[in-house]
Amino acid sequence: MNRTVFLKRILEIIPGGLSWGIIITLVLLSILHPVASAIVIITFDFYWIIRTVYLTTLLILAHHRLAEEKNRDWIRSCLELPADKDFKRMYQLIIFPVYSEGLEVLRPSLTSLSASNYLKENFIVVMAFEERNPASRKIAAILEKEFGSRFGAYLSTFHPDGLLQESRTKGANATWAAKAAKGYIDSKNIAYDHVIVSCFDADTCVDREYFGCLSYHFLTSDKPHQASYQPMPVYNNNIWQAPSFARLIEISSSFCQLIESMRLEKFVTFSSHSMSFKTLVEIDYWPTNMISDDSVIYWKGYLHYNGDYRVIPLYITVSMDVAYSSNILRTMVVQYKQKRRWAWGVENFPFVVEGFIKNKNIPVFKKIRRSFHLLESHVTWAVWAVILAVIGYLPVFFGGAFFNQTAIAYNLPKIAGLLFKSTILTSLIWIFLSWTILPKRPKGVSWLKNIVLVLEWFFVPFIILIIGSFPAIDAQTRLMFARYMEFNPTLKGNRVV
Amino acid sequence: MPNFQRIRSLLFYLSLFLFITGLPFIIAFSLGYKFNARTFKFSKTGLIYVKTQPEGARIYLNGKLMPENTPASIYELVSGVYKIVLELPGHYPWKGEVDVEAGRALRLDKIILFPLRPDLQQLNREKFSTFRIDAEKRMIYYLDQEGKVVYRSDLDGINFVDCASLPDKFAQITGWGISADKKKMFIFSLHQIGVVFFDAEADHDYSDAAILLDYPKEKIIDVFWHSDNYHLIVLTNKHVGVIESRPRAVPVNLVSLNNEEAYAFYDAKEDALYFSDGQKGPGGVFYNNLYKLRLNTDLYLLGIIRKKANE
Repeated sequence: MNRTVFLKRILEIIPGGLSWGIIITLVLLSILHPVASAIVIITFDFYWIIRTVYLTTLLILAHHRLAEEKNRDWIRSCLELPADKDFKRMYQLIIFPVYSEGLEVLRPSLTSLSASNYLKENFIVVMAFEERNPASRKIAAILEKEFGSRFGAYLSTFHPDGLLQESRTKGANATWAAKAAKGYIDSKNIAYDHVIVSCFDADTCVDREYFGCLSYHFLTSDKPHQASYQPMPVYNNNIWQAPSFARLIEISSSFCQLIESMRLEKFVTFSSHSMSFKTLVEIDYWPTNMISDDSVIYWKGYLHYNGDYRVIPLYITVSMDVAYSSNILRTMVVQYKQKRRWAWGVENFPFVVEGFIKNKNIPVFKKIRRSFHLLESHVTWAVWAVILAVIGYLPVFFGGAFFNQTAIAYNLPKIAGLLFKSTILTSLIWIFLSWTILPKRPKGVSWLKNIVLVLEWFFVPFIILIIGSFPAIDAQTRLMFARYMEFNPTLKGNRVV
Repeated sequence: MPNFQRIRSLLFYLSLFLFITGLPFIIAFSLGYKFNARTFKFSKTGLIYVKTQPEGARIYLNGKLMPENTPASIYELVSGVYKIVLELPGHYPWKGEVDVEAGRALRLDKIILFPLRPDLQQLNREKFSTFRIDAEKRMIYYLDQEGKVVYRSDLDGINFVDCASLPDKFAQITGWGISADKKKMFIFSLHQIGVVFFDAEADHDYSDAAILLDYPKEKIIDVFWHSDNYHLIVLTNKHVGVIESRPRAVPVNLVSLNNEEAYAFYDAKEDALYFSDGQKGPGGVFYNNLYKLRLNTDLYLLGIIRKKANE
């Protein structure tokens, strides 16, 4: 094993090793020294109470900002910009990597795009199909016929299967499509720095003001090519039809993204996002062999620009489908797999640290801080629910008669109760905020669903266990043992899949 | 537009400050420490948790009324002995002394406050000498030896009825037992067993009159119903035997006993008889052994009976 491979393996083991180390240490501590374990758990509980209150406050702020900017006339704002920042010269390259999604998913995405309040002649739309999907040519032809004339340019690409040094990932398809688009852009002599590229999940329906908002931020930001632009993902396409379980998870995901948008120093691209095409070409496109292409592209930019690269939040929504299936068990499996794929973002850690080791221009403090943030977020994801829901009770369980007569054994459940009460309080805020981001109830959906939408929040503790820690532990353990995940797209649709 | 990043920084540092300053207090409190704001020192204390049934009792600690009623936790108690009185109107008070240790939680969570007027209810409507509750805890059977009558009622004394008459010949009843099918009972004296059928049950196989089974040469110690509700397992001073509950039935002795004062327990579920018996050891010393006799195979039992009857 050469040095590079050895280092990579070590870095792959660290997140999972840490998560497992924390869990095993706390379990052993509960058995061998329950008082010490109880102190650690109380510390963690207290930390979690403060963290929950802090993050919920950030959510309120982000939500406020979203509500403020949602109805802004971005095109007018663009028009008010100085002449050297003319938005009309900006081209929008929009790539939809398609795996096996059908017309029922792709049509609404393109319809929303064609309804955008922007210069459609400046749109270069690329529907990026996988050649291995036998239906792709037929679907491409139908969509081309329906939507081909609505934009400045419309391309269908077919990513060949089994290319050298490629895995079956979304990034590989998007890169193939971006390279094809580059050919088109070159043929039209369009300057790369006048092109903003947006890579959208196939089910992404954009807000009609999205491109106005994006252009405004691009044109007004300092070093626009050294930034990615992250809209707020909501899962409104089928939210009224989705079962409670899946709906809750996706609303929580949207909220997490809103919270992250307030923590700029940690903010990383996620799912559908936009960036400078010039930068994309310079950093050699999306990774073609990594699943978490959406976040790796940010890190590639960060390393390329020696740490002077950031994510600018766009307080405008892009709407996607809630992933669910025909029954609760299958929905749980679908959600579990989707969250495991997200948790596979832990592969960023070895990628980033290796990049930091090679890059001598990024300040050491910055390297340590970003590596720590990345590691901490993944390790916390893997252990927090296990500590709160399982390990928190172990000292009392294993402590025996002597420990159970101590003051700390008596107070441990009380502190956990305090945590639970604070969670209820924050849940009430989340319930209220979730209402405000819901689309209008469609016809045919009973008003009783409004009540269900409130009551379903009582499932939260159960859901936390299912999707809280286990998918992250699963992903990290796979990475630890070099059992690399294949891209397993979440089957979505406006109907039950 | 407000500077959100500035607000966030403020919130972050505020949260950090709360965590750093609050954590020592939370940990100290959890471990039972009390912070003295005057001396700026932590001192280790204990606590008492009081829970009563019913809840809501007033708590007096060393004569001082506590602000909370039960269930309640009394924190920050220095080590020592405390007098506790728990009072709830309409109930007997609970009084006790407890020893509080620093860093420990004393749980008084099994206290029952009994009502001043207990919920007392008379169940029998007639006089009786002894009673028995069936295994399923559905019926009470009352035996009046003097009047030679058996009564029956449910567990609340409702449906109190006279269900059987005892044979006149029985002078002194030593023991009795209801069959599992609730159709009959046995009574026994020193040398006789009587099987009495309940009035409401006239569908028994042999007779609705009492059956008397005599043991003139042996002393009956105990009798049990076999699970078939037909055979009786009889422990005498000489044998462990079986007898059918029919007129002129012949007893079958399964085991001969050495010890005249054997003791037995019958497990009706398993149809197993546990009995003690003596054995002479070296030097003429008597040892008691406990035996288990399985009687759970009906065919096996019937086989023995038939064989013995033929003999």
